[in-house]
Amino acid sequence: MNAPSTVVPAPTATAPDLSRGDRLKRRLERRPELFTLFLLVCLCAVVGAINPSFFQASSLFDIARSSVVIGLFALGVFVILAAGGIDVSFTAIAALSMYSVTQLIVTYFPGAPLVLVFLAAALGGGLLGLINGFLVHALRAPSLIVTIGTQYLFRGFLLTFIGTVWVTSLPEQMDSFGKLALIERSTDGARAVLPVFFLALPIVAGLTWWILNKTLMGRAIFATGGSRAVAERLGYNLRAVHLFIFAYTGALAGLAGIIHVCSNRLANPFDLVGMEIDVIAAVVLGGARITGGTGTVTGTLLGVFLVVAINNVLIMTGIPSTWQRVVVGAFILVAGAFFAIRRR
Amino acid sequence: MPAVQNRPDAPSARGSTPAPAFLEVRGIHKRFGGVHALRGVAFSIERGEIYHLLGENGCGKSTIIKIISGAQPPDEGTIRLEGVDHAALTPITSLAAGIETVYQDLSLIPNLTVAENVALSEQLVRANGRLARRLDPAALHATARRALQAVDLPSTDAFLDTVVADLPLAVRQLVAIARAIATQAKLVIMDEPTTSLTRREVDNLVRVVAGLQRDHVAVLFVTHKLDECYRIGGQAIVFRDGQCVAQGPIRDYSKTDLSQLMTGKTIDGSRYRTGRPTDTELLRLEGFGRGEQFRGVDLSLARGEVLGITGLMDSGRNELGLAIAGVLAATAGTMRLDGQTVHLAQPSDAIDHGIGYVPEDRLAEGLFLDKPILSNMVALVLDRLRSRLGLLDQRKARGIAQGLVDELRIATPNVDLPVQSLSGGNQQRVLIGRWLTIAPRLLVLHGPTVGVDIGSKDTIYRAIQALAEKGMALIVISDDLPELLQNCDRILVMRHGEVAASFDAASAREEALYDAMTASGAPAASHKTPEETLS
Repeated sequence: MNAPSTVVPAPTATAPDLSRGDRLKRRLERRPELFTLFLLVCLCAVVGAINPSFFQASSLFDIARSSVVIGLFALGVFVILAAGGIDVSFTAIAALSMYSVTQLIVTYFPGAPLVLVFLAAALGGGLLGLINGFLVHALRAPSLIVTIGTQYLFRGFLLTFIGTVWVTSLPEQMDSFGKLALIERSTDGARAVLPVFFLALPIVAGLTWWILNKTLMGRAIFATGGSRAVAERLGYNLRAVHLFIFAYTGALAGLAGIIHVCSNRLANPFDLVGMEIDVIAAVVLGGARITGGTGTVTGTLLGVFLVVAINNVLIMTGIPSTWQRVVVGAFILVAGAFFAIRRR
Repeated sequence: MPAVQNRPDAPSARGSTPAPAFLEVRGIHKRFGGVHALRGVAFSIERGEIYHLLGENGCGKSTIIKIISGAQPPDEGTIRLEGVDHAALTPITSLAAGIETVYQDLSLIPNLTVAENVALSEQLVRANGRLARRLDPAALHATARRALQAVDLPSTDAFLDTVVADLPLAVRQLVAIARAIATQAKLVIMDEPTTSLTRREVDNLVRVVAGLQRDHVAVLFVTHKLDECYRIGGQAIVFRDGQCVAQGPIRDYSKTDLSQLMTGKTIDGSRYRTGRPTDTELLRLEGFGRGEQFRGVDLSLARGEVLGITGLMDSGRNELGLAIAGVLAATAGTMRLDGQTVHLAQPSDAIDHGIGYVPEDRLAEGLFLDKPILSNMVALVLDRLRSRLGLLDQRKARGIAQGLVDELRIATPNVDLPVQSLSGGNQQRVLIGRWLTIAPRLLVLHGPTVGVDIGSKDTIYRAIQALAEKGMALIVISDDLPELLQNCDRILVMRHGEVAASFDAASAREEALYDAMTASGAPAASHKTPEETLS
C-alpha cells in the first residue's frame, strides 16, 4: 500500500528483544505443559532414588495400565474444557454404559464380537453425552450445573432400573481381551504385562489431537472457549460445538468404561463415579485453564501420568497411601499458583 | 443546508436504475418488547464508497448493523443484496455476500493466533458454516498474509503465530480490520473504530480505508467523531429515533447541520465555558514527577478553573492525572492543596482530601454495571449513610441518588435499575454523580465523553460548567481537542513526559494543539517558558 506524503510509523507489532530469563518465561507461558513435564521428571527422579525398582518394567507397566481409563476420561474433559465448559457426569456415563452393555451382552448376546461390544459402549456413552450437550445448549445453562444434574440422573437410572449386582462372569472374549498382552517381560520370575488395551490411549490421544488442531471443529472449540459471544457472532455454529464436545466425551467415557470392565474382569455399577475430581485435576495439571480456551493434548497426557504416578508410586517410597491425596493436592496448588503467576 | 428529508431519493428501485446498489435496505422495522427501535429505515450502499452512519446513542444504529450483518432478523422490510431480496440474513449469508463487520469490541478471539483470527472465517464461509471439515493451514497462512499486508502489519510467521491476547490494542484494531478484508469483503462496517485510538493510529486507519476504497470496497463507519468523518469524506447517513433522516455527501452538511439532524435540536459548536476562574489557588504542583512517566510538572490551578490536559497516549498525561487523583503515587516534587502539602499514596487519600477521579474506561474501572444506579451513586459515602445498626440507611441513600439523577438529568424511570440499562452518556453521568456525593474540591475527568453521543456530550459539558461555577476546580484529560477548546480555561499539552506547551483555550486553535502534541525531536526544551499562542 502506498503511504501518502506524511509517513507515520505503524504501531509496533514485533516482540522486543528479550533476556534469557524472559525467554524462558515466555516459553513457559506458551507451553505450560513443560512445567508439568518438569514436575513429572522430578517425581520420578525422587521416587527412583529412594526405590530403584521404580524403573523396572513392572512398575512402569502398572502406571501405563492405570493411565488408560483416567486418560480417556481426561482427553474428553480436556475437549470440553477447551470449549469453555466442564463436565462432571462422564463417570456416571461410563458406569451406566459399561454396566448396561455388559448386562446386555451377557444376557442376550454372549458371543458378540469384541468390536460390537466397544461400539455399543461408545455409542451409548455418546448418546448420553448428547443429552448433556443438548441441555447445555438449549438451556444456556452453565455446564457444571447441567452435568451435576445429569450425573445424579444417569447414576440414579443405573442403580434403579438396570441393576446393583456385580457381574463377575464376563463373556469369554471380553475376559481374554483384558488379559491379552502387548508386551510381556519376565524379571526375577515376576511377570510384567503391558495389556493390548493400553493402545486405546495413544490412538484416542492422536484422534483428539487431530480433531482439535486439524479440523474446523477443533478451531471452533477453542474459539468458543476463548469467547463464546464472539464465536457466535462470527458465525461458528455453537449448537454443533456443544453437541459434539459432550457427545465425544460421552463416547470416550463409554469406551473407558468397557475397558475398565475388561481390565478388572468385573462390571461393578458402583465403580468409577467419584473419579471426576482426579480427572479434572489431571487436565488442569496439564496446563489447561479451567476458564477454557487453552491446553494441549500432550499436556493433558502429562497431567494424567503425573496424577497416576503420584497415586501409584508413593507406596514404593514408603509413604502411606492416605498421603496420596495430600501430595496430589499440594501438586495442584503448586501448579495452580505457577500457572496463575505466569499469567500476570 | 440541503433538504432535511432527502431520504432515499437514491436508487428508487423500480425506475431505470443502471446498476443496482450493492446493498439496499427498505422499510425495515424492528421492535424489542415495547421499544420500536427501527421505524421504516431505508438507505442504500454502493461499492467503493465511504459512508458515515451518524446518530445519537439509542437511535437504532447498532440495530441496523446487526440486521445487515445477520446477527438479528428485522420484523418487517427487505434487504436487497446485489439485486436479490432477502427477508433476513444469517451471519453466514452475510459473510458470504462480502459484508464484514468490525465491532467496537473488535470481536477477536483472544486465545487464537493472529493468522487464525484473520483467516479462519474465510474457511468457515467456504465450508458453508459446517465444522466437520479439515483445516487448510496453507490457505490460512496465505490469506492471513495478504490481509495483513493490506493493513501494513508485518506478515512474518512469528507475527502470524502470535496469540492475539499478547498484542497492544492499536494492533488488535488493525488485526480486526485485516480479518474484515481477508474474505474479499465488499462492504466493511466499522463500529466506532477510533474510540480507543490516538491521533497517530487514526491517521494509520485513514490510510487503510483509502486503500480499501481503491479496491472498490464500501466502508460504513459508525461513529460519534464528526471531525474524523470530515477528514475521511464520503456520504453521511443520519439516524434519529429509529429513522433515517438524511443521506448525502458529508461535505454538503455543516457540523451544525449534522448535530441538528441527529438531535432534532440546535446545538452549536461554540464554547461552553463562559465563567471565569476565581483568584484563590487550590492546587499547586512543583517539580511533580513519577519515574520515567512524567517529570518536572509545575502547575497552578484556581478554584472554579477548568484545566485541559492533552498529549499522545504515551506522553504521560494519563499518569499525571492518575497521580493527582492518588491512583498512582508520585515519586518526585510536591503537591499542595489550599496551601497544605499533601501526599497521596492511594485513591482513598485523594478522596479524604476531596479529590475525585472519573476514569476513562467507566465500564472496567468505575461502574458496577449489574448493580442498581442507587448503589453506584452512593458507593463513596457508605460511611455517612450508616444507620445506628450499622446498616445502610436506604431512605437517605435513595434521597441522594434521586437528587443526583434529577440534577444531572439522567434518563431513567427509577434508581433501582442496573447501570447497564442506561446509555453510555447516562452511565458517565452516574459516575460523575457519584463523585459529587463527596463534594470534591477538585475533580479529574479522564475522557469524559469517550463513546458518548452528541446530545449526551452536551449535558456532560453543561454539568462540567455548572460544577466550575460552584467553585470546583476541574482537570479534563482528553484526546478530543474541540472538547477541550470548548470547555477549558487553559490547555496543557504534554509530550515525552513533560509539559510542552500551555494554551489559552479561548484563543487557541486545534492545529496548534496538534502540532504541539506531535512535534518531533528531542523532549520539549523547557516547560518553564510555555509557548503562548495568542492570535
